[in-house]
Amino acid sequence: MIDKSLRWVDDRLGVAKGGRTFLDKIFPDHWSFMLGEIALYSFVVLLATGVFLTLYYVPSAKEVIYHGSYLPLRGQRVSEAYASTIGLSFDVKSGLLMRQAHHWAADIFLGSIAVHMARVFFTGAFRKPRELNWVVGVSMLLLGILNGFLGYSLPDDLVSGTGIRIAYSILESIPIVGSYIAFFLFGGNYPGNGIIIPRFFIIHVLIIPAIIVGLLAAHLGLLVKQKHTQFPGKGRTEHNVVGSPMFPTFMAKTTGFMFMTTATIFLLAGFAQINPIWQFGPYQPYQISYAVQPDWYMGWLDGALRIMPSWEFVGWGHTWPLEVFLPAVLFPGIVFNLFFAWPFLEAKLTKDRAYHNLLDRPRDRPKRTAAGASVFMLLFMVFCASSTDVLANFFNVPLQSVLITFRIIVIVLPILTFFVTYQICKELQGYEAAGKRKHPVVVTLTPEGEYRTTEMAPHPGDGHEEIEPIPVPTFINLVPPELATGSGVRRVMR
Amino acid sequence: MSDESPQLTGALPVAALDDPHLQPYAAHPERVNAVAVLSMVVGFLGFIGFGITFWISDQVQWEAATLGVGLFGLGFGVAAWGKYLMPQGPFVEERHDFHSTEAERDAMSAAVLERGGIVVKRRKVLGGLFALGAGTFGVVAAFPLIRSLGPKPGRALFTTNWKKDSLLVSLEGRPVKVSDLDVGGVLTVFPKGFEGSSPDQTILIRLADIAPGEPPFPLAPPGRSDWTVRGYVAYSKMCTHLGCPVGLYQEQTQQLVCPCHQSIFNVVAGAIPEFGPAPRPLPQLPLKVDAQGFLRSQAGYDQPVGPGFWERP
Amino acid sequence: MRRLLRARLLVPAGVAAGVAAAGLLTFTPAAQAGTAPSGSSSSASSLHASTASASVAPTTSGAAGSASAKAAGINPVTLPSSYIAPGEALFAANCASCHGTDAVGTSRAPNLQGLGAGTIDFWVSTGRMPLADPTEQAVRKPPRFNALQTLEIAAYVQSFTPGVGVPIYHVNLSQANLAQGQSLFTLNCAACHTITGAGDALADGAFAPSLHVATPTQIIEAIRTGPGNMPHFSAGNITNAQARDIVAYVHEVIQHPTNRGGFGLGGNGPVAEGFVALLIGVGGLLLVAFWIGERA
Repeated sequence: MIDKSLRWVDDRLGVAKGGRTFLDKIFPDHWSFMLGEIALYSFVVLLATGVFLTLYYVPSAKEVIYHGSYLPLRGQRVSEAYASTIGLSFDVKSGLLMRQAHHWAADIFLGSIAVHMARVFFTGAFRKPRELNWVVGVSMLLLGILNGFLGYSLPDDLVSGTGIRIAYSILESIPIVGSYIAFFLFGGNYPGNGIIIPRFFIIHVLIIPAIIVGLLAAHLGLLVKQKHTQFPGKGRTEHNVVGSPMFPTFMAKTTGFMFMTTATIFLLAGFAQINPIWQFGPYQPYQISYAVQPDWYMGWLDGALRIMPSWEFVGWGHTWPLEVFLPAVLFPGIVFNLFFAWPFLEAKLTKDRAYHNLLDRPRDRPKRTAAGASVFMLLFMVFCASSTDVLANFFNVPLQSVLITFRIIVIVLPILTFFVTYQICKELQGYEAAGKRKHPVVVTLTPEGEYRTTEMAPHPGDGHEEIEPIPVPTFINLVPPELATGSGVRRVMR
Repeated sequence: MSDESPQLTGALPVAALDDPHLQPYAAHPERVNAVAVLSMVVGFLGFIGFGITFWISDQVQWEAATLGVGLFGLGFGVAAWGKYLMPQGPFVEERHDFHSTEAERDAMSAAVLERGGIVVKRRKVLGGLFALGAGTFGVVAAFPLIRSLGPKPGRALFTTNWKKDSLLVSLEGRPVKVSDLDVGGVLTVFPKGFEGSSPDQTILIRLADIAPGEPPFPLAPPGRSDWTVRGYVAYSKMCTHLGCPVGLYQEQTQQLVCPCHQSIFNVVAGAIPEFGPAPRPLPQLPLKVDAQGFLRSQAGYDQPVGPGFWERP
Repeated sequence: MRRLLRARLLVPAGVAAGVAAAGLLTFTPAAQAGTAPSGSSSSASSLHASTASASVAPTTSGAAGSASAKAAGINPVTLPSSYIAPGEALFAANCASCHGTDAVGTSRAPNLQGLGAGTIDFWVSTGRMPLADPTEQAVRKPPRFNALQTLEIAAYVQSFTPGVGVPIYHVNLSQANLAQGQSLFTLNCAACHTITGAGDALADGAFAPSLHVATPTQIIEAIRTGPGNMPHFSAGNITNAQARDIVAYVHEVIQHPTNRGGFGLGGNGPVAEGFVALLIGVGGLLLVAFWIGERA
């Protein structure tokens, strides 16, 4: 059956050779190679749940009177966008589950990209020949963050509306063209003529997802073409890949992982309430709630805005709102340009132009590891600064003290982190056995009262690591050897 | 098929069924098998449960629980099958240089430069005109994409609807009488006819109860002593940092705090920013009382309200 | 099934789901509380139970109340003069050391005369008074006095200035408009107390308290008296009907939020959500990956 269909297809498309090679493709078994898959599968969930949401969401700022089943809002004037989002949360079966799954999937999508990126960075997987794939990945992170913000804004609730207000002011802060960009995008002075909701919608559901899908195809295509990197180990060289074949082992593992990722997202979606917009109410530009923060992946920008001193510069007949422009435009610009440029920057600094298919242990590249840890610490601290009010309330300390503390530690901690990480890497390098396979040691007490240590074979559970790797067998003698009728006889069951 | 197989097997790897690379990872495959079976059965029941839940109720937690159990059970079973029961190798795949040979690179660049060169060099005018036309198209095509999006800012950022003698009204359109607010009271007000308008939002605070004819409430900025009336003071509610509504009034310390980024403004001292990222005081609205005892503005704001922008002098 | 579906179209889906779920699939009993009609028997009885101070008072129908206040469902409570004598004894024993004899205040604590019984009731019934250290912001704690003792102290302080200041109110929420309350709460209250009523830190170490345990009487007293750093909202600022709507919104929605989507995560918004997404979501999946993959 399979055979016949394959022949039919192969006669027309010639897929057998390439297809078989693809089934033989080797995937390294190390767990850290599965981080990107979390992002991939959350993206699948995002697409699926997103399509469901578009069937009910109305991208319109038109004012309507809310008449749905959530009583505390009945009779209130709200936008159609807000009313339809409440409607799909309360009056559409499984609607709230899908909406919350979409939101959790977005949070997990960006979180897993960050973790995946950290793995690629700290192990040096971005080096030649994979610089382009690094650039593609960083582009997807950037677009993902942007699309997350846009999607967060679509329900037009009080919290997200405040975010749009801030985004408008950030655009306004750009020198020379700022107010033009803001007016063009919003169709006028804030809050504009209502066009921003449909514009955000089409960017959120069509333009950026289409680009991400294209980049994702490129990301995976490059991965197949260039093959995986791998950690050094038995039988592993710069010229091979050791691991499991695409079919069936890897496919089973990754399918299972896909289901479990989806399960995690849907369990969160039903048990951890996210963005309960009916509690926030509709957005009005004169209303505000305290303790509003953006989603976590935008938190670092909000934190940077909070701790920035009030450095507005007025000169030559113009206002330069540096207190906004520096933290909200220049800072993320520098961070992302640094991300994009890092592979080329490192190659220039180290003068290393060789191909690299074997990964570094982070400790073996102390400067890179320290630099990465330092940037991570900077971003994490700025992220924490986005909850100064919550921290002040939680620890019962004055708001001003928390803010001043953060102004100091965002500068001090990253520098400190660099040197501490560097030192830790150096120390770990000297520790010979670290990272090597450990053999159990048996301690015996002789009748004479003497203790003896004997190094044993590695633990039997992972014994297969000790076998020499072989190419994936295309044909398998399915007849057990004892039943074979003669030497050299091979039968394939169909 | 059997005729072709020997030839193929000569080129492609063959393994015996008992090859160690094809053995499962699990020490006790049957136990793992039992776990995987159980897991997949639980997953199947979870999906059935989701279907039932969907039809009889719209309970989000039950939907998530059944769906989550279904997906996780199925996923765990498949992953356990893959990890413990499928061939673990290790298998190896050789890498091949995917860069081309020097000769191929030379041929490629020759194809571009030499073949293209003879074309372009012979017809320079055509090449130039094509570049000019395509470039012009690229520029003019961007015009509608950018310019049609929205209006030019013009003076919109400089003005509000507050004029001389604007009547202060609440969000519901109720005019504010001088007796309406207690000392320590706050109210969001708009010019009559523009209730709910973003740039016009103004916060009215009563700092003291000052009888008519008595000296006005002392404010720190010079020249504004007559901008307050009967202890009332009014400031733009748009934060000068990022335009959030500065709705948080601390009555005892007489500070306005922006809930977004915690800029703190001293209400008694002309709303100068005392702390946080806000760079400028909140613009002040000069107030007066009309003959009927309603609050009105003496004039509009003397400067643009809200966050800074390039054209602001 | 078809009949069930058709019947369901006649009632709000949220309520229908609650009804449908009640027998077989009740997961979060409070989940549908916010969608119960305001003024229903359940919410009215819970209101009565929680306004202990008002239910103890013998004369809840306020003779001093204006007609508009009564129409708005906010009724001033007249305290009987028999409360004054025991109130004086309680005041002398517990309050006079700071607030002075006759409640005229000392260097440590303010004059209470003219503030009205409502002010006294708020501070004492929320447990904020008596206060050990007057330099700290008073926090809500279990009240020192029972409802009757609280009213007696309030009657005593009110007796110096009859009819002056904010009286104790009994609030009737049966006519309240929750949608109005939501809008007014967002405009006037959310900037400090947050939109979920969780409270947050203010400048200079002050804080806006959580609204999750305040009774309707305490909420209206807070609106009208502006305790601590809270602004004063007089009737000219927030009308009696508006104040009633706010009280209803706080009491029926903020204090019983519709957490249809699962655990509310403390109403702390994206900060808590981010931690859950990264620690439980991504963290949990890292553990799964760690299990599926090899460690060497």
